Amino acid sequence: MTKRITIDPITRIEGHLRIDVEVDNGKVSDAWASCTMWRGLEKILEGRDAREAWLFAQRICGVCTTVHAMASVRAVEDALKLEIPANAQFIRNIILINHALHDNMVHFYQLSALDWVDVMQIPKADAARATSIGEGLSSWTGNSREHMQATKDKAIRIAQSGQLGILANGYWGHPAMHLRPEVNLLLFTHYLQALEFQRKSHQIVAILGGKVPHIQNLTVGGVANAINLDSEAVLGMQRLEQIRLLMAEVTNFVHNVYFPDACALAGFYPEWFHIGGGSDRFIAVPDLPRDGKATHFDLPGGYIRSFASGGEGVLSIDGRFREAVTEDVTHAYYKGDKALHPWKGETIPDYTDWHADQKYTWVKAARFEGQPAEVGPLAQVLIGYKQGHALTRKWTDLALDRASSIAGHRIGVDQLRSTMGRQLTRAIRAAMLAELADQHLQLLIDNIAKGDYTTHNAPSFPSGEIEGVGTHEAPRGALSHWVVIDKGIIKNYQAVVPSTWNASPRDKAGVRGPYESALLGTQIADAEKPLETLRTIHSFDPCMACACHTFDPAGKKLGSVEDL
Amino acid sequence: MSRILIGGIGNVLFADDGIGPFVARTLDARYRFPSDVEVADLGTPGLDLIDYFEGRERILLIDAVKSAEKPGSILLYHQAEIAQCCVGPRTGPHAPSLTETLLTVEMLGLSPQELVLVGVVGQSYETDCDLTGAVREAVDDAIDAVLSELDRWGVSYQAKPSGVEPGIWWTKPLGNFTAQVVQ
Repeated sequence: MTKRITIDPITRIEGHLRIDVEVDNGKVSDAWASCTMWRGLEKILEGRDAREAWLFAQRICGVCTTVHAMASVRAVEDALKLEIPANAQFIRNIILINHALHDNMVHFYQLSALDWVDVMQIPKADAARATSIGEGLSSWTGNSREHMQATKDKAIRIAQSGQLGILANGYWGHPAMHLRPEVNLLLFTHYLQALEFQRKSHQIVAILGGKVPHIQNLTVGGVANAINLDSEAVLGMQRLEQIRLLMAEVTNFVHNVYFPDACALAGFYPEWFHIGGGSDRFIAVPDLPRDGKATHFDLPGGYIRSFASGGEGVLSIDGRFREAVTEDVTHAYYKGDKALHPWKGETIPDYTDWHADQKYTWVKAARFEGQPAEVGPLAQVLIGYKQGHALTRKWTDLALDRASSIAGHRIGVDQLRSTMGRQLTRAIRAAMLAELADQHLQLLIDNIAKGDYTTHNAPSFPSGEIEGVGTHEAPRGALSHWVVIDKGIIKNYQAVVPSTWNASPRDKAGVRGPYESALLGTQIADAEKPLETLRTIHSFDPCMACACHTFDPAGKKLGSVEDL
Repeated sequence: MSRILIGGIGNVLFADDGIGPFVARTLDARYRFPSDVEVADLGTPGLDLIDYFEGRERILLIDAVKSAEKPGSILLYHQAEIAQCCVGPRTGPHAPSLTETLLTVEMLGLSPQELVLVGVVGQSYETDCDLTGAVREAVDDAIDAVLSELDRWGVSYQAKPSGVEPGIWWTKPLGNFTAQVVQ
């Protein structure tokens, strides 16, 4: 029997992703990903001063603000061929790293852990045993018997009160949840502890960026931070030392809690290394430049054209990215009948309601060389690993060893192309970033110590039309902003965000996007509680980058199952 | 960390959703508050709003609300009412709403003594950098609502000398370019 399950948050506050799956005898036979709200960022930017684009770009979304600001200034700088001072590069990198660490931790604990961790099993847990499991994973001081007992007491209070609050909508007792009570207790304890360290990484962003969310220190040509080593009012030794101390705490949490937790979760759910693969092509853009010119990067970029064939390896992305990206609107609510390069891109809305065979989403279908590609930590780690990038190999090998030893069998790098692989590679990337954070702070301090206090190169705009692209390997993957400028005024602007790649609909040829293909073949135990679908979609860390957000006091339920 | 937070929430690119930031910035331009009061344009923080709860005794948020009341109406909500709103399954990480944020804060034991939401009923949430007429006219009402809550809390404030421009940068007209263009 075929059923169609619609998970539709259209009535939700800030919910914009809708997933439809057709389930045939308990297995997903087809899938559609749609975004239910129009972003319209491009229209807002046309006609504005190119130097201000980043201020608007970072307002499009509440969680990914920083990344849009960064891609936007980089796009304008690319168009102007404007180099930025080394200090500005390092300050931007420290902000990007800490933004990403915050985002990755929020994803693992607050946004996806409860797909795997059954909080209602915690009352049955033995606190002492949870502590000894925790001690086996790392030297983290927050794994004490007292910590475990406190979390257990909290869970018992919540369960007994009947006021589940934030936990009211979990799929508790679902057959796909099978951690033992002590592991649930350990991970939920870290869920609560993580919030403190997320706040610390934001404090670092705020020290450099002025405020969070929505940093204030960017400018086309560099950053607006004044450097004076002896002053407490601007960026000097006192603030740099404050950043170093905060970073040490964040790094400790990432390396001794988040990373081991992700490895343990992977080891306890090894079957999810065989579910949710989907994509055959992967893209990452290089990031964390080590010089003002941006010629050397700490995060490698590249393109895997065929993962399945294996032989081809990773292709270079330099230059090709500029040429090979197009967006197709055959199944998206826009006018137009051919795939367009972002500089030539059009954004003319044409809403038609949801039609599986016609238009069904506000997301354009991003294509590279005419084909869909997955972006995100999975893409980045696969590309770095296959290129032999030392830092990627170090953390990936460690993660796979840990997960394999818990699972009791070998999990190889190729199995990362899966739902659990996306979770694990996000933690691998976070571990890499935490290690790089201190290096980039040191690069900044060393450069200042040489007597270089420059943070900004003034832009000047030519009278003719110019084009630029700014890329950033964001927490959700390759982000690119494309701009056409005429006499300093924006003539065209397109943002190809990570979810434009991953939540892409079918294209003219009917080829599915990464979310859609990842869901195919997934077993669904209970159509009323499609937890398996959510696990795979959540593994991408979906973001519709269109946070029109109002408070709706009525609140509504969502989701439906229809027999076909 | 200041004892009291006054935070404007909303997306300034979606018409009336920008009322929160608009009111926060206008308040900041018109009044001087004691040092233990922070006034902030929080944009669209989602779960990141939790960062702002640590150590706060009282929180006042300004946000657009959906309601059958006519656009521009001011509605007050208290923490318990917001927390009672239904929370559905998360389908995207950007789903966490104000309700989920408050419930998380409650679970963490970070709830302030009091939280009030000054809601302004919006008319349009289409992509647009300006408020609609009805909501723009409600700005002063919203400010009065904020100030009367502060009065109730015993917070003092003084009017700033007139002529301080609120930094509402997003409503600037198009085609404005002040830099020199070189040949």
